[in-house]
Amino acid sequence: MKKLSALAAALLGVLAFSVTAMAESPAGETGTAVPSLLYCIPFAGILLCIALFPLVKPTWWEEHQAPVVLAWSLAFIVPFVMGFGAHHTAEVVLECIINDYLTFIVLLFGLFCVAGNITLEGDLAGSPRINVGLLLFGTLLSSWVGTTGASMLMVRPIIKMNSWRKRKRHIMIFFIFLISNIGGCLTPIGDPPLLMGFMRGVPFFWSLRLLPILAFNAAVLLFVFYHLDMRAYRKDIAEGRKPDISKPGTEIRIAGLHNLIFLAAIVVAVLLSGTLPSLPLFRNADGTVRGIHILGEVTLTWPAVIEIVIILASAWLSFRTTSAKVRTENHFTWGAIKEVAILFIGIFITMQPALMILKANGASLGLDSPYQMFWATGALSSFLDNTPTYLVFLTTAGSLGFTEGIATALGTVPAKMLVAISCGAVFMGANTYIGNAPNFMVKSISDENGVRMPSFFGYILWSLGFLIPVFILDTLIFFL
Amino acid sequence: MKQHREERIALATRIYELDGEVYRCLGSNLGRVFTGKRDATIEELARLMCSSEKSHYLRSELALISNMARTIQDKPTRARLMREYDSILQEVESLPTSFGRVDILDEQMASLNAASLSDRFGKGDHLVICIGRTYGSAGTDIGFALADALHINYYDTEIFTEVLERLEAEQDHVTDFVSFSHEKNPNVTGDIHDRKMTLKQRIREFSRYHGLSKRDAIFFNESDLLCEKARTEDFIIMGRCGDRILSHNGIPHLSVFITAPFEKRVQRIMATDDLTEKQARKLLKTLDRRHGSYYNFYTGRRWGDPNSYDLCINSASYGIEGSVELIKRMVDRQSYKKPASNK
Repeated sequence: MKKLSALAAALLGVLAFSVTAMAESPAGETGTAVPSLLYCIPFAGILLCIALFPLVKPTWWEEHQAPVVLAWSLAFIVPFVMGFGAHHTAEVVLECIINDYLTFIVLLFGLFCVAGNITLEGDLAGSPRINVGLLLFGTLLSSWVGTTGASMLMVRPIIKMNSWRKRKRHIMIFFIFLISNIGGCLTPIGDPPLLMGFMRGVPFFWSLRLLPILAFNAAVLLFVFYHLDMRAYRKDIAEGRKPDISKPGTEIRIAGLHNLIFLAAIVVAVLLSGTLPSLPLFRNADGTVRGIHILGEVTLTWPAVIEIVIILASAWLSFRTTSAKVRTENHFTWGAIKEVAILFIGIFITMQPALMILKANGASLGLDSPYQMFWATGALSSFLDNTPTYLVFLTTAGSLGFTEGIATALGTVPAKMLVAISCGAVFMGANTYIGNAPNFMVKSISDENGVRMPSFFGYILWSLGFLIPVFILDTLIFFL
Repeated sequence: MKQHREERIALATRIYELDGEVYRCLGSNLGRVFTGKRDATIEELARLMCSSEKSHYLRSELALISNMARTIQDKPTRARLMREYDSILQEVESLPTSFGRVDILDEQMASLNAASLSDRFGKGDHLVICIGRTYGSAGTDIGFALADALHINYYDTEIFTEVLERLEAEQDHVTDFVSFSHEKNPNVTGDIHDRKMTLKQRIREFSRYHGLSKRDAIFFNESDLLCEKARTEDFIIMGRCGDRILSHNGIPHLSVFITAPFEKRVQRIMATDDLTEKQARKLLKTLDRRHGSYYNFYTGRRWGDPNSYDLCINSASYGIEGSVELIKRMVDRQSYKKPASNK
């Protein structure tokens, strides 16, 4: 109780600080008020909580995630109401909950449910060779079923095959690097920013141009992974660990295979959410997308409703048609999705000021070359939602007045510039646990199944050690 | 000290059993926290308890069990297991940090110490002698003669053949990496015959070896086979990392390494294998390197390092008969009692 009071007091302090800061909020060039940087304190606070509490007070954190998230959300909302009015605040919060968070969490929920109903039975033993093969397969799959879909589909088989091993956290970390992020760069289905690009006029198969960069990154990371994994594998064997391969021959059986139909339905739903808004049937006379009006400019569009209905129906049918035994064998629990749902609603709400500042100042950052776009989009995508970040920099690139390149609704963007923005948004989501939706899911599922995953900052160290050098190579080879 | 050790073993056993119980209650097939052999895992946990430097590791292992326990659907079961978890956690946190400071004794090393041989074999344990040797040191002859003198079984390539039967593999497609019997040709350096395979054959091999390399699959099966044999009969095993495999599985054994000066080995294989000096030197260097690499790969230790064995013999000093006699005297000295059921 004492600690809760202390936390509340600290948050009130932040709140008071933000109210003071509110008066200093400058106006943007367009005349629209832009929140001060101090409004980002709740966002930083929630990130620090995610980073530190699991280390210092794990049990407490597990039980008090929801109140902490609520407290930080209020620490943003209350000063914002004072600074920008209740109506505008309600619009901002509802816009992010209805149009960003809702579809995000429903998609994650649907894929989590459907993938949880597919289990791989067999005695294939996790070894460096097998793991490289699985990571490569997952990386290639990501672009066709989405990074979240591929992650949910592959995470349990990989954990299971490597269950005999003691040193396996690096496998899940490279899983996040490759399957949950980098692999999704080839199509708009792969990662939401590319879907956003597709909705803004980037041709569907244009992203296939990113194949050489994907191939390079995957080759370098898999090479490094193989050697890391071989070292860990040798240590495991030297300690006397071994897989159970007493039966001659491997029998692999996939239970719940029919759920692939529901997985395909979810992929179609995502695709529809990107294509339907451009159809006249779904558009009003003023060009806005039709839907259920909520408040002010906040509307839950019909394409989003269709997407949500298809995904929820798929998840429901998946549960109805799959034996509970499959879920038991998969150690299916609601823990991982619950944790992600709670934490990310706070992240989505508190990141709004940062996104507003980015939108207001994106064009004035003076970025005009591919490598700058790659790093700027990437650095911000590591912590913010990569979809609006992508959009901000695509808008910036479109407004630079280029005459040759890809014609989008936001202007003409040179191919190299678009490649850099796309790669930055997709690849660098892997830099942190919160950079992309499946990252945290993979961490949570691994935590529940005997894999000791690194802390928030520990994971960032892995990114700094292995991903950033690869991105530097990308810059030198592809973006200069 | 002994009392402390018993306490630690009891606590480690509770941790191991809690993990098993949690996993059983979940019905998951994704793997539990402690996947190693029961005895070895309990020993390792008990060791962690006396090391303040590694206490964080023990706590994080416990946290993984609680992560799983918290996801148990049945509330009474979850509550019961969480109570047991809390009780264990309290005991772990109350462990005196001075547990490991009373004695300088390294229990793991001591268990391998020849001086403590009298305590090594319990009633009903079988006599297992693991002999590592360099090529040309007459280690194979010494092992064979020792088995004959002790009237116990001798295993070298026989283990490999049995493993192939288990794997339903064809002998001409796989090389016995450890045995010296195939390696008289100095040009042979690969462990597996390099031959072109059709896709169908590759898929069959992939399935047969559970996705592992042939060498790993054979090693794991050899490990299983050695442990099975060690529980039912007395024998001498030549090479194959037998000493480490049995140590990891808590099976008492004697480990011996036999070698001789390089020049003496060159002279011997020139005579036995009908090689020129140049060929003999090249062959020995190749084989030493290959065996060292194999042993290091699967054990993480240096092949022939005296720290890894109970006894290291320079066979040039004793000869075959003398070496046999030396090992036999060592076996006779300890209190090994042949089990009545042993044949």
